[in-house]
Amino acid sequence: MTLFLRRTLPLLLTFFFGVAAAIQYYVPHPVSEAALTEISVWLRITIGFAMVLGVASLCHVHYSKIRARVAGWGYSVVVYFSMLATVAVGLWAGGQEEGTGFGWIYTYTLLALQGTMFSMLGFFVASAAFRAFRARSKEAAVLLVAAIIMMFGRVPLGEYLIPAAGPLAGWLLNVLNTAARRGIIIGISLGGIATSIKIIFGIERSYLGGRE
Amino acid sequence: MKGLASRILRLDRRAIFILIALATLLPLLHPIGFPIRISPEVKQVHDYIESLPAGSVFLLSLDFDPASKPELYPMAVALLNHAFKRDLRVIGMTLWVTGTGMAEKVVSGVASQYGKRQGIDYTFLGYSPGGSNVIINMGQDLTAAFPTDHYGERTADTPVLRGVRSLRQVNYVVSLAAGTPGVESWYVYGKEKYGFELGGGVTAVIAPGLYPFLDTGQINGLIGGLRGAAEYEILIGLKGKGVAGMDAQSATHFVIIALILLCNFLYFLAPKTTVRSFDGAQDRPGSPQGIGR
Amino acid sequence: MAASVFIGAWVAAGLTLFMFSFLYKDNPFFRFGEHLYVGISMGYIIVRIHYDVMMKSLYSPVIREGKWWLLIPAILGLLVLARFIPKVSWLSRISFAVIVGFGSGVAIPRIISSNILQQVQGTLKPILNSGQRPFGMTQFNSLLILVGVVTVLVYFFFSIEHKGPIQICARIGIYFLMVNFGAGFGYTVMARMSLLIGRFDDLILFASREYAYASLILLVLVTLGLILWERGRRRAETPRP
Repeated sequence: MTLFLRRTLPLLLTFFFGVAAAIQYYVPHPVSEAALTEISVWLRITIGFAMVLGVASLCHVHYSKIRARVAGWGYSVVVYFSMLATVAVGLWAGGQEEGTGFGWIYTYTLLALQGTMFSMLGFFVASAAFRAFRARSKEAAVLLVAAIIMMFGRVPLGEYLIPAAGPLAGWLLNVLNTAARRGIIIGISLGGIATSIKIIFGIERSYLGGRE
Repeated sequence: MKGLASRILRLDRRAIFILIALATLLPLLHPIGFPIRISPEVKQVHDYIESLPAGSVFLLSLDFDPASKPELYPMAVALLNHAFKRDLRVIGMTLWVTGTGMAEKVVSGVASQYGKRQGIDYTFLGYSPGGSNVIINMGQDLTAAFPTDHYGERTADTPVLRGVRSLRQVNYVVSLAAGTPGVESWYVYGKEKYGFELGGGVTAVIAPGLYPFLDTGQINGLIGGLRGAAEYEILIGLKGKGVAGMDAQSATHFVIIALILLCNFLYFLAPKTTVRSFDGAQDRPGSPQGIGR
Repeated sequence: MAASVFIGAWVAAGLTLFMFSFLYKDNPFFRFGEHLYVGISMGYIIVRIHYDVMMKSLYSPVIREGKWWLLIPAILGLLVLARFIPKVSWLSRISFAVIVGFGSGVAIPRIISSNILQQVQGTLKPILNSGQRPFGMTQFNSLLILVGVVTVLVYFFFSIEHKGPIQICARIGIYFLMVNFGAGFGYTVMARMSLLIGRFDDLILFASREYAYASLILLVLVTLGLILWERGRRRAETPRP
C-alpha cells in the first residue's frame, strides 16, 4: 500500500493528466473545454503554493548561516531584515503600490538593485570579448564576422557610415539566422516532445525526486 | 612586438571597464542624434495597431522584470501611447511576479496622460502565476483567469471588458518579453488555439530566436531591443528613452568592435599562428566527427 | 518635489553605486547591496503571492463566491510544502505528478503544431509556391533557408556517422550555426549595453541639481569608503614584523 502511494500513484496521476491534456486538444466538446478551464485554474493556485518552496529554501539557507555563525552571517541578517520589512510594509499597504511605502521600496530599491546587477554584464561582455573572442578557426572567424556585421549594422552610426550595413544585418537575421534557428527549434521541439512522452509513460521520473 | 602584444592582451580588465563607462556616459551627456532607419518588422507592429478601429481590444502583456527595464519599458511606453492615441481598449497584465509594480506604473502612468479612466478605457489585471496555464485559462475564460483586476474590481463587471469573454475576443496581443513565459508561450499556448493576432517586443538577447516565427507569420511583427524601441518611438513621433540611448549604443558597439579587432590583430602578430578548421580536432573525444562513430 | 521622491533618488543612486563597486573588486558595499536585493525581492514575492494568489484566486472565490472545489488545488498546494518534512515528503510527489503530467500533455500537441508543422510549412511553402515567377532574391532566400534548415538538422543527427555527403551537409550546417551564434553574440552585446545605458541614464538624472547632486556626492563617498576598506584590508593582511 505504501509503495503504491509513494511510487505508483504519482506515476498513474502523471499518465492520466498527461494523456487527458493531450487528447483534450483534439476534442472541442464543451465538457472537454470546461475541464481544461477548471484544471488550468486549479494549477494556477497549486503553482502559487509551489512558489513558496523557493522562498522557504532561501530562508532556510540564510537561517543556517546565522545559526552556525559562518563568515559573512551578518549579511544573512540583512536578508531577513529586508525581507520582513518589505512584507510588513506590503501588508500595511494592502498589496497596492501606487503612492505607498511598498511602491517606494519597489521603485527605489528593487528596481535599482536588480537593474544594476544585470547591467554590470555589459562591462564583463566587453572584457570577455577582448580577452577571448579570437578567430582561432574558420568557424570562429565566421562567427566573428557575423557578430561584427550585427554590431555594426544595428546601430545608427554604423548605418550612417556604411548605409548597406543595416540591410546586410537585416538579411543575415532574416535568412541565415532564421534558417539555423529554425533547425534548432525543430530539433529542440522534437526532443521536448520525446521527453514529455517519456514523462507521461513513467520512463522519465526525475521530477518526482528521491530514491523510492 | 610580441612582448608588447602579450602585454596589451593581459591588460587589467578595469581599464576596459573605464573605456566602456566613458563610451556610455559621454554620448548620454552630449548626444549627436544619428538618423535611425526603421526596420520592416517594427513597422509591421505599428501598422497593425494603426489599422485597428477605435474601441478594439488591445492586450499588452508586460512579461519582464526590472532587469530588462531599460530595453522593454520604452517599448511599453511607446505602444501604450500609440494605443491610447488610437482610442483602443487597453488590457495590461504581467506573467512575471517582480514586474508587477513596473507594469502597473507604466499602464496607469501613460493612461493618465491621455485622460483615460481605469475600468472604463483601460484595466490592469495584474499578475497570476503559472505562465502557460494563465494563457490557457485566459483563452478559455478570462474572468476565471482573473476574477478581479489588480485593484480588486470584479472583471465580470468592468466596462472595458464588456464583450471580452476570452482571448478569442481580443483584437491584438503584444507580449513584451525578457524570456519564458513570453512571446513563445503566447503563440504556443495562446494564438495557436485561440486565433488572435500576436506581436512581440523582446530583449535583444532573445530577438534572433524569434525571426523564424516572424517569417512564418506566427507573430506579425517584432520589436527587438532598445533599437526597436527607438524605431517605434520615431514612428509615433515620441522622443523617449529609446532614441536617447542610441548614440551611447553606437559608441559602445564601436568600442567593442575595436577591442575585438585589436585582440585578433595582436593574436595574429604572434608567430606560428595558423587558422585551422574542425578537421584538426578530428580524433579528440567529443568532437563532432567523433560523436558520429 | 516630494520628500519621498528626493530620498528615494538618494537611496537608488547609493544602491546603484554599491553594486557598481563590484567592478573594482568584491567588497562589503556590494555584498550588502546583493543581500539587500535578495531580501527585498523575496519579501516582494511573498506579498504578491499573498494578494494575487491566496486572496484573489483562492480566498475570494471560496469564501465570497462559494467555490469550495477550489480547496482541492489548495490541498495539492499544501502537499507541495510537505517537501520540507522528511517523513512525509513523498506526499509532494502527488502534486508534482499533476503539475508535470498536465504540463507535458498540454505541450505536446501545441508544440507539434506551432514549432514543427508550421515551421516546416514555412520552410517549404515559399519554394513550392514560387511557380512560374523568375528566380529572384526572394526565391534565393527561400532556397537558402531550406538548405540551412536541412543542413543544421543533419548536423544534429548523431545517430548516423558523419561521413561522405552527410559530413559535407553537417559542415555546411555548422557554418549556418556560426552565423546564428554570431548574430546572437552581436545582439547580446546590444542587450547588455542597453541595460548599462539605462542605469547610467538614471545616475545622470540623480546627479542633477534637482536631486542635490546625489550621484556625484555618493560616488565620492563610496570611493572614499572603498579606499578605507582597501587600506584596512591590506593592513590586516600585512604580517607584523
